[in-house]
Amino acid sequence: MPVTEREQLAAAGQAAGLRLTEQDLTDLLPAWKRYVGLVEELRAAMAPEDWDGGG
Amino acid sequence: MAAVETLTSAPLLEIARALRQRKVSPVELVDAYTRRIEQASDLKAFITLPGERARREARRAEQQLSRRQAGVLLGVPIAVKDLFATRAIRTTAGSRILRDWVPSRDAVVVARLRAAGAIIVGKTNLHEFAYGVSNANPWWGVARNPHDPERSPGGSSGGSAIAVVAGLCAGALGSDTGGSIRVPASLCGCVGLKPTYGAIPLEGTIPLGWSLDHAGPLTRTVGDAGLLLDVLTGMDAGQRVRRASTRGVRVGVLRGPLVQRVRPWVSEQVEAAATALRRRGLRVREVSIPEMEWTVATQLVTLRAEAAAVHARWIRTRPRAYGADVRIRLQLGALVAGADYVLAQRMRARLRAALDQVFQSIDVLLLPTTPITAPVVGDRTVRWRSGEEPVDGALVRLTAPFNLTGLPALSVPFGAAAGLPIGLQVVGRRHDEARVLAVGRLMEELAEA
Repeated sequence: MPVTEREQLAAAGQAAGLRLTEQDLTDLLPAWKRYVGLVEELRAAMAPEDWDGGG
Repeated sequence: MAAVETLTSAPLLEIARALRQRKVSPVELVDAYTRRIEQASDLKAFITLPGERARREARRAEQQLSRRQAGVLLGVPIAVKDLFATRAIRTTAGSRILRDWVPSRDAVVVARLRAAGAIIVGKTNLHEFAYGVSNANPWWGVARNPHDPERSPGGSSGGSAIAVVAGLCAGALGSDTGGSIRVPASLCGCVGLKPTYGAIPLEGTIPLGWSLDHAGPLTRTVGDAGLLLDVLTGMDAGQRVRRASTRGVRVGVLRGPLVQRVRPWVSEQVEAAATALRRRGLRVREVSIPEMEWTVATQLVTLRAEAAAVHARWIRTRPRAYGADVRIRLQLGALVAGADYVLAQRMRARLRAALDQVFQSIDVLLLPTTPITAPVVGDRTVRWRSGEEPVDGALVRLTAPFNLTGLPALSVPFGAAAGLPIGLQVVGRRHDEARVLAVGRLMEELAEA
């Protein structure tokens, strides 16, 4: 099971059919972290709906 | 010869008039531009020059002019971003992958330019596959800002902006997915128009993000942009975009988190424009749109996923055929989850609704095009008092919201700082290009005063 962020990124890349080298992972990691952070912000900004217990 | 040289930097409308009045011949003009392009080759504005083909078109235009044939752009040399297919002229998308592609058909926008009589004077340099704003192209050259070659012209339509500002064409065609017409227009000091989404057809244009892509003109004046808009939208000569009045126009100056990180010399020009517009009788007030805070994240997720879909095959089979920055963006895009893309579209719908609401009480929105003037080539971050921001993100922060919402947005040069141009953005309702252009023309007049 992938444990570190780098391992998670490698696993995600493999699942997506990408040929990621070690250098690719190094280059991608900062952008990946920023992307994940922005998606978390978006999720937080969308209020939960009444029907999913958020109301 | 001297008269032709002076004309090369004149407004397109003036060039078209001089051609119709036979004060200059299309061949003289094409030759003059070709010379100037060669002299300015260090700016890396062009990828391909059609050479003898352009002269042949110019000779044909000369005959048509002598027979007083119609064509609002008859004999006018136009530069085309190398993202639009041009029949029998190599079209590379600024890439290595398409370095040898010669299309058999023109993109619809190119066909419309030709039908109006335009001569394609060259294919301009761009950020690889239009996927970036630095125009530092690893295969075709790092484009340079005509005001200071140590600085970036912006992108991705950087070559087109350089060509317009440096007098290498009468006008140019660009594309805009997050700001790629407006950003280089702002940084180089010309006019750039991203019209309403869907107003200009994109058949024959290499896509980047299907729901974000727009085509549009880069020109020396707002009037020129209006003429090219008419041609690109397929209007007949008798159906020219109805001119709108600026009388009583309600201008909303954008405030809020999105415009907090803006250089003071840029903010000063926004305030100067607002004051000047108010003095001319427009109703100017401040507006705040809280939803704009989420545009960076919404644009990032949307564009990453859509661009990755376009390049799905090549990024998996030929990743090393891309430049490093584009490769990283595409690989990241391949990892975007469907649920995240849907989340971004929900936020996008919220943003559209918020802007529709604001446009109940204003007619145009005024804000900077870019929060900074042209950065130095190679700069990666912008420093603010509140922290650092990636320069690519900073450059599109104020333009991308109008790709997400499809509203027409015009960048007009307004002032300068330390010799570098500043661009201000005028945004209107969907299909209200007439009013956006009218306010833009007024700002152009006020900027020159």
